[in-house]
Amino acid sequence: MKLLRRISQLLFLLFFILLFLQTRYPLETGIPVDLFFHTSPLISLTTMIASRSVLVTALPGLIFLLLAIPLGRFFCGWICPLGTTIDINDRLLGQKKRRRKERDSVVFRSVKFFILVVIVVAALLSLQLTWFFDPIVILTRVVTLVIYPAFVFLVNSVFDFAFTTGAMEEQVYSAYNFLQKTVMPVGRPEFLSSIPVVLFFAAILLPGLISKRFWCRNLCPLGALLGLFSRYRLIKRYVSSSCTKCGKCQSGCKMNAIEDDYTINNTVECIECADCVSVCKPHAVSYKFGKNRGSNDIDFSRRRLLQAGFTGLASVALLKTASGEDTKSAAVIRPPGAVDEKNFLDRCVRCQECVRVCSTTGGCLQPAVFEAGWEGIWSPISVPAMGYCEFNCILCSKVCPTGAIVELALEEKQKFKMGTAHFDKTRCIPWYSQEDCLVCEEHCPVPDKAIKFDLHDARGLDGTMRTVKFPWVNEELCIGCGICENKCPLVGKKGIFVTSSNNTRITAK
Amino acid sequence: MKNITRRDFIKTGASAGLLLSTAGAGVGLNAATVNMPELVITKNSSPADLVRKAVEELGGMTRFVKKGQTVLLKPNIGWDRNPEQAANTNPDAVAEVVKMCLAAGAKRVRVIDRTCNQAERCYKNSGIEEAAKNAGAEVRHIVESRFQEVPIPEGKLLKSWPLYRDVLDFDVFINMPIAKVHGISQYTLGFKNMMGIMGGNRGNIHKEINTNLVDINTVVKPALTIIDAWRILVRNGPTGGNLADVEEKKIMIAATDRVAADAYAVTLFGAKPADIPYLYDASQRGMGKLDLTTVKIKEIDLAG
Repeated sequence: MKLLRRISQLLFLLFFILLFLQTRYPLETGIPVDLFFHTSPLISLTTMIASRSVLVTALPGLIFLLLAIPLGRFFCGWICPLGTTIDINDRLLGQKKRRRKERDSVVFRSVKFFILVVIVVAALLSLQLTWFFDPIVILTRVVTLVIYPAFVFLVNSVFDFAFTTGAMEEQVYSAYNFLQKTVMPVGRPEFLSSIPVVLFFAAILLPGLISKRFWCRNLCPLGALLGLFSRYRLIKRYVSSSCTKCGKCQSGCKMNAIEDDYTINNTVECIECADCVSVCKPHAVSYKFGKNRGSNDIDFSRRRLLQAGFTGLASVALLKTASGEDTKSAAVIRPPGAVDEKNFLDRCVRCQECVRVCSTTGGCLQPAVFEAGWEGIWSPISVPAMGYCEFNCILCSKVCPTGAIVELALEEKQKFKMGTAHFDKTRCIPWYSQEDCLVCEEHCPVPDKAIKFDLHDARGLDGTMRTVKFPWVNEELCIGCGICENKCPLVGKKGIFVTSSNNTRITAK
Repeated sequence: MKNITRRDFIKTGASAGLLLSTAGAGVGLNAATVNMPELVITKNSSPADLVRKAVEELGGMTRFVKKGQTVLLKPNIGWDRNPEQAANTNPDAVAEVVKMCLAAGAKRVRVIDRTCNQAERCYKNSGIEEAAKNAGAEVRHIVESRFQEVPIPEGKLLKSWPLYRDVLDFDVFINMPIAKVHGISQYTLGFKNMMGIMGGNRGNIHKEINTNLVDINTVVKPALTIIDAWRILVRNGPTGGNLADVEEKKIMIAATDRVAADAYAVTLFGAKPADIPYLYDASQRGMGKLDLTTVKIKEIDLAG
């Protein structure tokens, strides 16, 4: 059973990586690359509660929740790719070799229920906090913003060196060409706020020094939710009379779910990893359907519940008031098809799927730092200095698991206004130094060109008169895609820039 | 002549005289080719038929490509547009040129362009990646670390620029733009198409673009220029997007004289070659003929 579980974990982790790699232009394989997000009941519940709507895409998550009633927390032990990552991490940190005399402390395992209550209370008051704690989101985010870009950087460094030496160039070029078609992007992704993301991830992995699955035991609100539902599970751990009370199962238990007489385990905590089955020399342990004694204690008092509820309330009050003005900031240029800002923040789980797929095409989407306020941390905004919205692209809306970005027909999207471009006449080459440029006009993808130009005689900086093409923005036509700002040849502050002004938003249903 | 490769030549920063004499040898200024046309215009058939006929009439691909040589073909793949929108070179015509090169004995034909929109989109939606691959070409994306700073000894403004290494390494360079209008250079044709082998911040050369375009063209001389005027973009170039801005001309132009090629192409838009600053500059620098009456032109209508 342990072997089976390991195979399952590995396959789901590989599947997760495969889906991640498939989340790229042209996205034509037909596989729903956001599949894992639909398996998380935490995302389903909180998004639906926060946005006060029934989201069809989020319903499969509830099925996983219902499956926990008979089957327990199999998701944590057998599927969750973050769980698998943590298992691998714990092994690397030497948890396997650690010999324990006494059982690990159980005091912190109530924290996850606390976090769950905070999240749910916040969602009830229309504040989305899941993005900080959902395991699928956490893993996708760190892979998208940190691990994959680092991988790409390293591979590119090797190839750049090889290209510079010029040795075996044909073979090197062919190899690079092959990689670009498979695991490497054609561009070179760079992301804002990747350092906080990796620090957060490190904070999840490093407690592996203290105990196995520290995150899952003590902090994961998805585990807490599944645990609540698996309290009266039908598949239970059964210990036969050949048990010698050696205690190996307890000290080896990832979740610290085995109670002190070894025959009882906690149905809320057990993730059915079956380590206790394989560690048991007399083969006394098995998992079976049916009745067995099991503890279903939840370490959570009424007092704690109230405290958590109050914390949720406080976080809502704090974040909602802290971010009041910021959400109207000029830098909050949302992806095409984004729903109105309030609903956008309620639905967006900051999974970075849109950012990931965008990085393989126009590359304008970036996780916000504080541009969209405290409430909008890591939500996607377009940063035209780093990339631009491709005119023929609607991929971000296709990968959004929660409907924060609504899928538009391409013709609609091509008229969808993300914002408006403005010239900075103190920077723009024709306006500042009376010389022709028009790179912005050249790249403008709007068929009738949203950047127009007039010819006027002007005196250049050297005092001579010449006829210059002076560009201006037709605000009606401009869709705010940002290619003008992105391609502006000025180094540093650009001569044309996009703001969120006059942007359109979809009214959330 | 055989032992001076394009690469050595550019590397040593050859003078204009040497450049032209080598180039002359490349296209064969000998008895066999002395009576051949410098510019061929074919009309009224499919893009593939037109381009094939045009090159045949110019002396056939064997005039430009010798057995075992490597050919770099540079179409315009700059934009994420489909063939009907006439922002990129016609994919069927590109495929036909690839086939002709291979039939002439080319060891390999590579197709590249440094695109303006995201590269995969441009290669795919232009139809060029698929068509050229099926015809037997290597279609490659640009790798930024493969640009190499090249001196421009004859440059008036540009003294050096990073160019794609393939341009230096390959034996034969074929330039294959599509004819379009352009906000700043007025028309984008053969000279402007060379921007697709330039690295660095290309936006910078838009100041004084006319001189800069000629400068960059002094270091890379195509053996053959083919201008796709099957569909031309007459407004809102170089991106287009609106089919009303596309005119179906059903014309292909093949030329050994790159100035004459662009000069003929601007007449399709109703312009006079001498009014186009970069063409005037190029002809003044001895890079080709601006006055079409002095060019040996052959015009063929395939409809009749």
